[in-house]
Amino acid sequence: MQSNSNRDLAVGVFVLIGLGMIGYLSLQIGGLSLRDPGGLILFATFDDIGGLSPRSSVRVGGVRVGRVESIDLDEDLRARVRLNLALDLELSIDSAAAIRTSGLLGDQFIALEPGAEDELLVSGEEFAFTENAMNLDRLIGSVVHGDGLGGGD
Amino acid sequence: MMNRIRGLGAATLLQLEEIGEVVRFGGRILRATTRPPFRWRAFMAAVYDSGVLSVALICASGLTVGFVLGLQLYNTLIRFGAEDSLGTAVGLSLIRELGPVLTGLLVTGRAGSAITAEIGAMRTGQQLDGLRMMAIDPIHYIVMPRATALAFVMPLLSALFVVLGVFGAYLIGVELLGLDGGAYLGSLEAAVEFRTDVLQSLVKSLIFGLLLGLIATWRGYSCEPHSAGVSRATTSTVVTASICILLADYLLTALWSL
Amino acid sequence: MTEADPEPGHVEIRGVALAFGRRRVFESLDCSFVRGRISVLMGGSGTGKSTLLRMIGGLQRPDEGSIHVAGEEIVGLGEIGLARVRDRLGMLFQNGALLDSMSVFDNVALPLREHTDLPAAEIAERVHDRLAAVGLSDIDDLLPGELSGGMLRRAALARAIVMEPEILLCDEPFSGLDPPNVSRVEALLSHLNRDRGLTVIVTSHHMATSLRMAHRILLLRNGGCVEGSPAQLASSRDSAIREFLGKDGAEYLAHHGHEFQGADG
Repeated sequence: MQSNSNRDLAVGVFVLIGLGMIGYLSLQIGGLSLRDPGGLILFATFDDIGGLSPRSSVRVGGVRVGRVESIDLDEDLRARVRLNLALDLELSIDSAAAIRTSGLLGDQFIALEPGAEDELLVSGEEFAFTENAMNLDRLIGSVVHGDGLGGGD
Repeated sequence: MMNRIRGLGAATLLQLEEIGEVVRFGGRILRATTRPPFRWRAFMAAVYDSGVLSVALICASGLTVGFVLGLQLYNTLIRFGAEDSLGTAVGLSLIRELGPVLTGLLVTGRAGSAITAEIGAMRTGQQLDGLRMMAIDPIHYIVMPRATALAFVMPLLSALFVVLGVFGAYLIGVELLGLDGGAYLGSLEAAVEFRTDVLQSLVKSLIFGLLLGLIATWRGYSCEPHSAGVSRATTSTVVTASICILLADYLLTALWSL
Repeated sequence: MTEADPEPGHVEIRGVALAFGRRRVFESLDCSFVRGRISVLMGGSGTGKSTLLRMIGGLQRPDEGSIHVAGEEIVGLGEIGLARVRDRLGMLFQNGALLDSMSVFDNVALPLREHTDLPAAEIAERVHDRLAAVGLSDIDDLLPGELSGGMLRRAALARAIVMEPEILLCDEPFSGLDPPNVSRVEALLSHLNRDRGLTVIVTSHHMATSLRMAHRILLLRNGGCVEGSPAQLASSRDSAIREFLGKDGAEYLAHHGHEFQGADG
């Protein structure tokens, strides 16, 4: 068989570049972690989760620290969200979980606001403070009726 | 009137019959991959012809599509004051849709048609019969390396297209239109996630590659053994594969969002 | 009328019928090809010479009938079964059918590399031996496209015999060649038949060459065939046959009249 070492080299370089591109897209841009950083399981209960869905991201100060694993209704018919967060995350017991929207029309995510207490949340515990998804209708309604913004919890 | 209906029925049956043959052909290719030897030499040669030789085309197209996307999306986003999200808009459109689909169509035109012509010429010159007479399976020897090479190069080329597109839009947005580079990359990285976006892109391009590999080799293998037949088969590859890629794109997009 | 052969032919065709669409090519065809002999299939265009050769090779399936190659029924065999029979066949196609992206050496070596575990040195020896046998040397690295018609035909012949087949099928081996090359190929085929006992089946309409080379001629017409030695056919009572063989037939008789046994073809 004709062996063409130049061509073989070109093929090798091509494959390396292609794999490199895939790696860049996956790791750098797509945020794929090669080690599973999850493991810290926390729960947050909301009246209204808006457009939040399983796989939505969880962020602290804009940085992704985990994802929503599942959403269920509890006995009071409120939405109980199960979060899978980075194992090394340290959140005090007075931290809050709020549902925010990315930009004006973007995806919904959970923003965690760290509290001030020394004691930390442990796997399996609940967030004490939660903030519902902002409902655009209610917002406009309260502005129109001059009620003041009633985001509430 | 009855003749029209009869004609439609006959045409439909003919189509179904052909689809059946293509599926059977695909099965033979699949079985050929499990039988040793793998034919690395031929595979590498096919990767060179379909992949390496397409790099220039993919780079040029990716870059220009990036330029256009950057410009067009900027014009729309700036109306909502959301121009800092250019990275998001460009990244998501390229990764989820434009990367795999445009790469698929470009590779179809460039490499798919070439493979159909090559196999068709072999059929015309009785080279495939020659192989059979030597008790060598032409599907194992000729078809399998080429079909697998097409499937293999597609995700690689698609990723290359996407990265160049992102870069092209970056050049337009940041260098030309004065956006903040950090905001561009930041919004890009924030919006794109591996599981929902990058993985979808890779799976799509792999499936497009498999479709093209099957269609391009089938058309060459089953064409009428003369130059007009080869020419017709080559055109048919481009048309059929393009349509199948677009349909598959729709199906995969729908399935992925479930 | 065929002579009664004491043993079944190396290739036996019985009751074969084949039609392409509305065109009937064969209608209950019976013929046999004797082992170790050169048989030439002749007939006007469209009488199915090449098709019959392809059927023997398993590349074309008849609508009805049976075909026995080296004692084995091949109608109804799948590609895997046919592969077994093809081990004993070699086929020379009209335009060579060498793979045009590979060198001549690689083309001739291909069956050896695919079907045997021979070391590279031995493969090289065999390939060069076959190429020398057909009168080609120093063309190892040339591509088929760089060969002249005669050289291409002979290279393809080298490939056809590299696996030592029992039966050699040649589709129009003389067509498109200039007279010196026609003689060369004729000499090669006769030589292979004499020295290696190869059964050679050829399709041709090169009248003079065929008559000279053949032990038996099979004339295809009207969906069937007429068999006989060249002398028998040349002196046939059937005027259509004599007319087909034409002036070459008459010339053949003039030179070989003493071989004529008497009974008509």
